[in-house]
Amino acid sequence: MTDGENQTTQQTLVPTGTGWERELYFDDDLSKHPVVRELRAVFPDDFLDAVRFRNETTIYVNPAKFREIAFYMRDHEKLQVNFLSDLTAVDMLNLRTAPRFDVTAQIYSIPNRIRLRMKASIDDGMSIPSLVPVFNGANWMERECFDMFGIFFEGHPNLRRILLQDDWDEGHPLRKDYPTRGWKDYPVYNKERTIRRTKTRWTGRGV
Amino acid sequence: MEPVKTPFNVMDSTQTEYSGTLMVEDEHELASGERVMTLNMGPQHPSTHGVMRVLLKLDGETVIECDPMIGYLHRGTEKLSETKRYAQIVPWTDRLDYTAAPQNNLGYVLAVEKLLGLNAPERAQYWRVIMVELSRIASHLVWLGTHALDIGALSMSLYTFREREMIMDIFETFCGARLTTNMMEIGGFSRQLPDGLIPQIRNFLRVFPSKLKEYTDLLSANPIWLARTKGVGVITPEAAISYSLTGACLRGSGINYDVRKADPYLVYDQLDFEVPLGQFGDVFDRYLVRVEELRQAHKIVTQALNYIENDDRPMMAYESAYVMPPHMGTMTTAEDMQRHFVWVIKGFSAPVGEVYHAIEHGKGEFGIHIVSDGGSMPYRLRLRTPDYVNLGVLPHMAQGAMLADMVALIGTIDIVLGSVDR
Repeated sequence: MTDGENQTTQQTLVPTGTGWERELYFDDDLSKHPVVRELRAVFPDDFLDAVRFRNETTIYVNPAKFREIAFYMRDHEKLQVNFLSDLTAVDMLNLRTAPRFDVTAQIYSIPNRIRLRMKASIDDGMSIPSLVPVFNGANWMERECFDMFGIFFEGHPNLRRILLQDDWDEGHPLRKDYPTRGWKDYPVYNKERTIRRTKTRWTGRGV
Repeated sequence: MEPVKTPFNVMDSTQTEYSGTLMVEDEHELASGERVMTLNMGPQHPSTHGVMRVLLKLDGETVIECDPMIGYLHRGTEKLSETKRYAQIVPWTDRLDYTAAPQNNLGYVLAVEKLLGLNAPERAQYWRVIMVELSRIASHLVWLGTHALDIGALSMSLYTFREREMIMDIFETFCGARLTTNMMEIGGFSRQLPDGLIPQIRNFLRVFPSKLKEYTDLLSANPIWLARTKGVGVITPEAAISYSLTGACLRGSGINYDVRKADPYLVYDQLDFEVPLGQFGDVFDRYLVRVEELRQAHKIVTQALNYIENDDRPMMAYESAYVMPPHMGTMTTAEDMQRHFVWVIKGFSAPVGEVYHAIEHGKGEFGIHIVSDGGSMPYRLRLRTPDYVNLGVLPHMAQGAMLADMVALIGTIDIVLGSVDR
């Protein structure tokens, strides 16, 4: 076993005092976080909030600038947030009155090894700019998000259902007001017991 | 120019009745006078590894467009998880990628532990590493066997399933189940290690390197294998990052991103292993990467077992309020019995907040995103399964590929439809 030898292989060495050290991403003072600092300076009106929980940073942005901010962070020389891990939504129906949905993108910087969560809150029926021009991988994630929540992504090349069938007419299942068993009657096989059960050899009873 | 002859009866475009799974749906005239043929592959095609349907548009034998259709195995795990308590969800994660159930368990359990601020004891963490790496070997062996079977090396699956059987036996000794193991618990392991487990793992570790050599002897210099895999399905590094690929699909293109190194969880930062990288990003490179990962997984299990073999420290974080009290305490003290009762009937209330935890699954980054409203059930549980995201690159890879290579392209992504459809 080696002690921490392999950890340092990927770590980029940044001179101290430049404001881009790796420690600053995990500092208790969120205003020192490089992403927070940069976005506050460049998008003062559209960067809404930043929250830290369990060493994870969540930034809340204006939904209208969702794609623009992702573009900025991807193409920034130092931030290099170039990888979209996950994109999904959370139905906040039971937690607050408005807006209804939180669209959540887990983004990651492969060179800096920094994970980040970007959130934008939109209301039911509103649309949000699609991230497909920034990350091709957002294509299927947004299709799933539309399928499950009914959120529209502006500029998506092919926004149709993916997991459910194309003619699914029961709405969007991951919404909180959607019953777990669906809106239609649950089909029960052999409800009237018209089909006789076979007796088993061992018990002499129906199974 | 003569129209392209097809081996099937080309149906009239006005006719709408379908007669089988493999058929021509419609035909269009191109400007050059050639015809585009729409071909349906699946959902019962043997090389789609489950039930996936791929709609192909062909120009002669060249694929010009490909549309994978998934969801035949959708069970709504995310919706169901909102009605289950935290400890009840672990068996549901078995059913995602059923060839690597311990890895799914681990991803979920680590996410919950992160939400709770709970740490499993060191011994449990090492045993988790051992089980997860064995499961990675099992998952890669299934991939190697079926992928080679698709391409035409029939005997490969007989070899790989022979060694996978040994791992299944180890799982059976450890937890009683072979496929859907339900192995990990929040807080560690509550049961003692069974007798005979360590000799069984030792026996596997002893025979596996020679078996691995058999696989590579059979394939790595095989001219048919090289012709079917080299230069096929090339993904550039830029495309791999842009399509959010993870696992061997990303590392086969030469991008060094392995969650075990980049964002170490468990005790991976204390173990010595290497991350193999590909050079050209084709099917053959991804094969080499996965074979090397088998070798590294063997190395990790050996190290972890050597370190933890003679350890007898506790395996469960019993000092925490979030785990079920020990059996002995439940049977002898009133306090533990009350805690046990409440834990079983109501579960525990998790803190308010949200976490995302990613692990390096055999197929890529397996992420769990939990939003908690302070109740005993997750408010929202998002399963980021690696093969769902990796499958999104198939239309990109298939453009311009030959029809005969489609099975190689689907196989190289390493999909399990239970994990894709959730």
